[in-house]
Amino acid sequence: MALSTRLLALRRSPVLLKLPPYLSALCIVVGVVWLLLLPLNEYSRSTYISENAILPGQVHTYFGGSEHNIFRAYRQEVWHLSERSDHDRIFGLEHEMRSIGLKAATQEYSWTVAGEEIKGMNVYGLLQGPRADATEAMVLMAAWRNFDGQINYSGVALALSLVRYFKRWSIWSKDIILLITDDSTYGPEAWVSAYHSTSSIATSSRNISALPIKAGALQGAVALDYPAGPWGQRFEKLDVLYDGINGALPNLDLLNTAVSVANSQMGIGCVLHNTVHHFDTYSDRLLTLTKGLLTQSAGHATGPHSAFMPYHVDAVTLRTVGDGWHDEMSLGRATESLVRSLNNLLEHLHQSFFFYILLNTNRFVSIGNYLPAAMIIAGSFTISALALWVQSGKASKGDEQLGKDGKKATEKKMELVSDGDDLALVPKSDLVAAERKIFLPATILLSVHLAGLVPLYLLNNLNRSYLTSAFHFIALATLLLPFYLSLQLSRLPTQQIKILQSFSLLFLGATLSMLATINFSLAFIIGLLCAPLSFLRPLPRLFTTGSLKQERTVDDAQAFVASLVVVLPSAALYFLISPPVVLYVVASGLPGLIDPENWMGLGRLGLDGLLVEMARGWVAQGVWTGLVVWGVWWPAWVVGGAVLGSAVVGIHDNGT
Amino acid sequence: MKLLNLPAALLALLPLINPGIALPSNNYTEHLHLRPLPGGSLYAGFSFTSTTPLSSYVANNFRYFPRALAQILQYTHTAELHLRFALGRWDDESWGSRPRDGLREGGNGVELWAWLENGGDGAKVEGEEARAAEERWSDLVNSLSGLFCASLNFVDSGKTIQPVLSFSPEGTLEAGQQTRTNFTGEKQGEKQGELRLLHGMLPHEVVCTENLTPFLKLLPCKGKAGISSLLDGHKLFDANWQTMSVDVLPVCHDGECELEIQQTVDMVLDVERSMRPRESPIPRPLPMEDILCDEDKSYSGHDTCYPKHFDGEMEWSLERIFGRPIRGSCPLSTATSDDFDVTLEVPADRNIQVLAEAAVPQQSPANSLIRHYKLPEGKDFDLFLPQQPQNPSEPQQLPLEQPPLYVSRQMTGYGAERGGMHTLIRNPHPYSQRVVYLESLPWFLRPYMHTLKVSGNGRLKNMYYTPLIDRKRGTQLELLLEIPAESTVELTYDFEKAILRYTEYPPDANRGFDIPAAVVRVLPTQGEEGQGQYLRTTSLLLPLPTPDFSMPYNVIILTSTVIALGFGSVFNLLVRRFVLADEVPVSPLAGLVGRVKERIGELKAKLKGSAEVGEGVERKKAANGGPREAVGDGSVRKKK
Repeated sequence: MALSTRLLALRRSPVLLKLPPYLSALCIVVGVVWLLLLPLNEYSRSTYISENAILPGQVHTYFGGSEHNIFRAYRQEVWHLSERSDHDRIFGLEHEMRSIGLKAATQEYSWTVAGEEIKGMNVYGLLQGPRADATEAMVLMAAWRNFDGQINYSGVALALSLVRYFKRWSIWSKDIILLITDDSTYGPEAWVSAYHSTSSIATSSRNISALPIKAGALQGAVALDYPAGPWGQRFEKLDVLYDGINGALPNLDLLNTAVSVANSQMGIGCVLHNTVHHFDTYSDRLLTLTKGLLTQSAGHATGPHSAFMPYHVDAVTLRTVGDGWHDEMSLGRATESLVRSLNNLLEHLHQSFFFYILLNTNRFVSIGNYLPAAMIIAGSFTISALALWVQSGKASKGDEQLGKDGKKATEKKMELVSDGDDLALVPKSDLVAAERKIFLPATILLSVHLAGLVPLYLLNNLNRSYLTSAFHFIALATLLLPFYLSLQLSRLPTQQIKILQSFSLLFLGATLSMLATINFSLAFIIGLLCAPLSFLRPLPRLFTTGSLKQERTVDDAQAFVASLVVVLPSAALYFLISPPVVLYVVASGLPGLIDPENWMGLGRLGLDGLLVEMARGWVAQGVWTGLVVWGVWWPAWVVGGAVLGSAVVGIHDNGT
Repeated sequence: MKLLNLPAALLALLPLINPGIALPSNNYTEHLHLRPLPGGSLYAGFSFTSTTPLSSYVANNFRYFPRALAQILQYTHTAELHLRFALGRWDDESWGSRPRDGLREGGNGVELWAWLENGGDGAKVEGEEARAAEERWSDLVNSLSGLFCASLNFVDSGKTIQPVLSFSPEGTLEAGQQTRTNFTGEKQGEKQGELRLLHGMLPHEVVCTENLTPFLKLLPCKGKAGISSLLDGHKLFDANWQTMSVDVLPVCHDGECELEIQQTVDMVLDVERSMRPRESPIPRPLPMEDILCDEDKSYSGHDTCYPKHFDGEMEWSLERIFGRPIRGSCPLSTATSDDFDVTLEVPADRNIQVLAEAAVPQQSPANSLIRHYKLPEGKDFDLFLPQQPQNPSEPQQLPLEQPPLYVSRQMTGYGAERGGMHTLIRNPHPYSQRVVYLESLPWFLRPYMHTLKVSGNGRLKNMYYTPLIDRKRGTQLELLLEIPAESTVELTYDFEKAILRYTEYPPDANRGFDIPAAVVRVLPTQGEEGQGQYLRTTSLLLPLPTPDFSMPYNVIILTSTVIALGFGSVFNLLVRRFVLADEVPVSPLAGLVGRVKERIGELKAKLKGSAEVGEGVERKKAANGGPREAVGDGSVRKKK
């Protein structure tokens, strides 16, 4: 009782009412600083193997000796296959699998995205674990073309010779599936989605044939990316790729196993996100963190392993980088050891973290440590929203002073309140509660959100030739929409504008905090980009003339200049953080500055490429970044703009 | 007490046996069937059969029939018993049809079905009979669990089903016949208890040496001599596919009845793997000299070797595969000189050397693929088949019999809520076949029967379905299907995954839960006698929603709860509008209730008499006034 009355008293405190904007700003600062602290030793941990059953590196690996000769032969064979037509190549691979003793099959797939067809054919073979009971399986994968479009000669050959070597072992508790996909993104996607569905029902945009051969529940997948040609090439390090679609990550145990097997058992150094020279300094860790943040927020596939994550199949890709002294046999033995470790699993990988940020191959931040960063940023919107809500509930002084015949209020400002024997003087304005009209703001908010579906639909369904122009058009419309809306909104009373903004921020805050638990990176980045939206207040009017037709005085001119000083920078900032502008910036390759060579090759894509990739992501990979951009960020931005301009272009008085 | 608890049905038969005819004697025979399979595998089928006359059985007089098992059967009134231990899978595509028509095969793990006598002396309430049978069933599984060192005791009511179409008795169950004739209207003498078929499966049970040892102990020669001397746990459980079965059935010929126990062990061994020496079982890469390279490849060289596929048959011998030769015939065998112990099925041109210390009677019918051997008594016996490259001009291979159907069953879907079952049944033959498809599902897999679809041009003729009861009974689904010639029938349905109580999860909760194999019975065509053929799918793994028994989610959940509590109360205080108690309009309902109460009070008061009327009404009024004042938030008690 005492606490609640004190809290009740607090809500009337003028200090408290002025606090929220500062609180919001503080939240954002804390959120960013929080993230910057994560690379420090105090806030991150060394990785460790949590699942006892894995026993990484505890087995002897025997892949070597005569297997090396066979590998060389397979590499030649793969090279010969690459000279032939696609069709011959697929059947050549299938024949190769059959002669190893696998049950082989092929799968055709095609998607139609942006008027273009993505098509290909996967070929895969099933090695039935001699004593396994067909309930579980693991996947060894080598895409024919790796993520950069190079032919994965040595990867495919290594996978073939490994499976041939595995065939002689009787220790497999799970079936092994050798999967050779056509490309690194859509082939695995088609295969894994067909693996988990009954039959293929072709739609206009998707035609994936069913798999004739299946095994049990997939327990893990390892992809090899080793594009060295028929004469081989030694490599320096292994790049362990782990980001899945929509920022989903494989269980940390799998990654740790891969790293510890390669590192401790085979002596191959591992890197993340192609950061080949990582000296474990603060800046290197921060760089790795940032790269992870960016790839995961984009949510697109980063390799053949990515497609497996949404199906709760843990997967990693081992990609060779650099020029060193490790040869294919080292990679083969590392893979053998990794597959043996997976084979040891008694349960599906579950012990370790599914949510983590990696700073280095042996250092990570767990969800408990990093989640607050995004949550606090999302919280800043909620705080602003609450403040606006409270404000909207108070009869605004401006309304009373200006509204009633332009006179200063003649009524007494204080009112006598008595409680039993106690008497108190309370400002009258505090006692008057304004009725909130929420229907109109809610309707506006809903319609803006629905309007967000229009760009989402257009950008994912138009033909490639129209895509860029459609985007220019959407950008233009987006940038003009706030003007139009604010013109319309200026007729509304201030209270409803506040409610509108409050709702919008409340929704943004709630969505982002929810998103943070699923895709931290996306929530964090969208939160940062939206951060200024909490501080938008109706800008001062530029022209006081309007309907009143008063003469301009010197004071007016000064006020005009003064308001211009406020209006222009805020408008500029506002437009800078708009979704289309940010997308233009991304397409121009600016994020490539962080990693000029290999940040998803966005710099090379250009706007057209970026849009096609986004459409492909939405249609074929099931990436929901587009939905977040157009369904969360875009409406929040538009409403923010409408609020911002509601007074600038106002024709009428603020409140009527 | 009934005499010796023996099945009453069998007891009833005793007087029928004519003493003039010689009583069926105790018999024991054993047989080994060997057949190389494509892909470097070898099928070895062991079968051991012993019989005992019913009279001896009743008198507890056993010669070959295992006493331990017999006593269990007598105690639980089991008329016919089928027990299966299976591991691995049969590869129909490369190995063809299953041995023994799949009759001696079980689903992965342990499978048990038996005909038990209902606990009835005549007419009884249906429920009670069922309960008696269930108790006997429970006794049976618990006793067998002890006998075979298997977790059969986990076959509880949730895993027990009563199939209607899928199984029919193999033996001559006179009792069943008798009751059947009773139903047709013939006069009945003393009504015997009816027989009830109960069936249970344990897909997660891992069959191992501990099950083999008690199995061998049931044999007269106990694995010391005869073909059973080949049965070694290391080899048996390294097989690609293996199944052990114990079947007890009454067999009657012309009124003579005997009880037969058939024990079989069927396995498919990988020849190359089995012949690896036990000292170095690790399949290290072969030395370069031992690998056959394809020299035709352009790139072939001293460091590049494309492995050539070896087409011919590998050399093997029983001793190298099983680790020991057959230690002579079982002296207890009652086989006559016409019966052969070992049958080998190889192409006629394959060289075979018999290695034995004594002369071995053998027989190989001309132009036949089959050769028979008789084991010498007390002397080792071995077969040696040297390596033989295949002659490409006239490839002589064993004809591969096509299986009646190809069946595969998979689970589809992902996520913790829904899933789907997807079964493909392919009929490769040019005639249509009728099959019974039996699924026994645990209760936590809840099928949506409205989504059951039979696509392709298969026809669903009949369906027996017992819905599940949570924690008590699983789903039993039996479909009678017609599979047209040369076509594929797809059977799909969706299901929901139940959420278990957290104590119900096994220690390895994240592994998933095993779903027993589906049993497919291909019904014999019209005019054909017998059981038909059986196929079983592989068992499946069902991932259920599993609570995270570890840290990270707890952190999220706890933080969210704290935030929700804190946020909720603060938000409430900030946003709620407080008004004085007097200002709250009385809700029409509350007013109505108040008035009704008042009326009732008045009426009561009137009835009670005038003396107390005044007081009663006063009290009611006060009571009604109370809550009205308390409306709103009690914390604000300001008055004007």
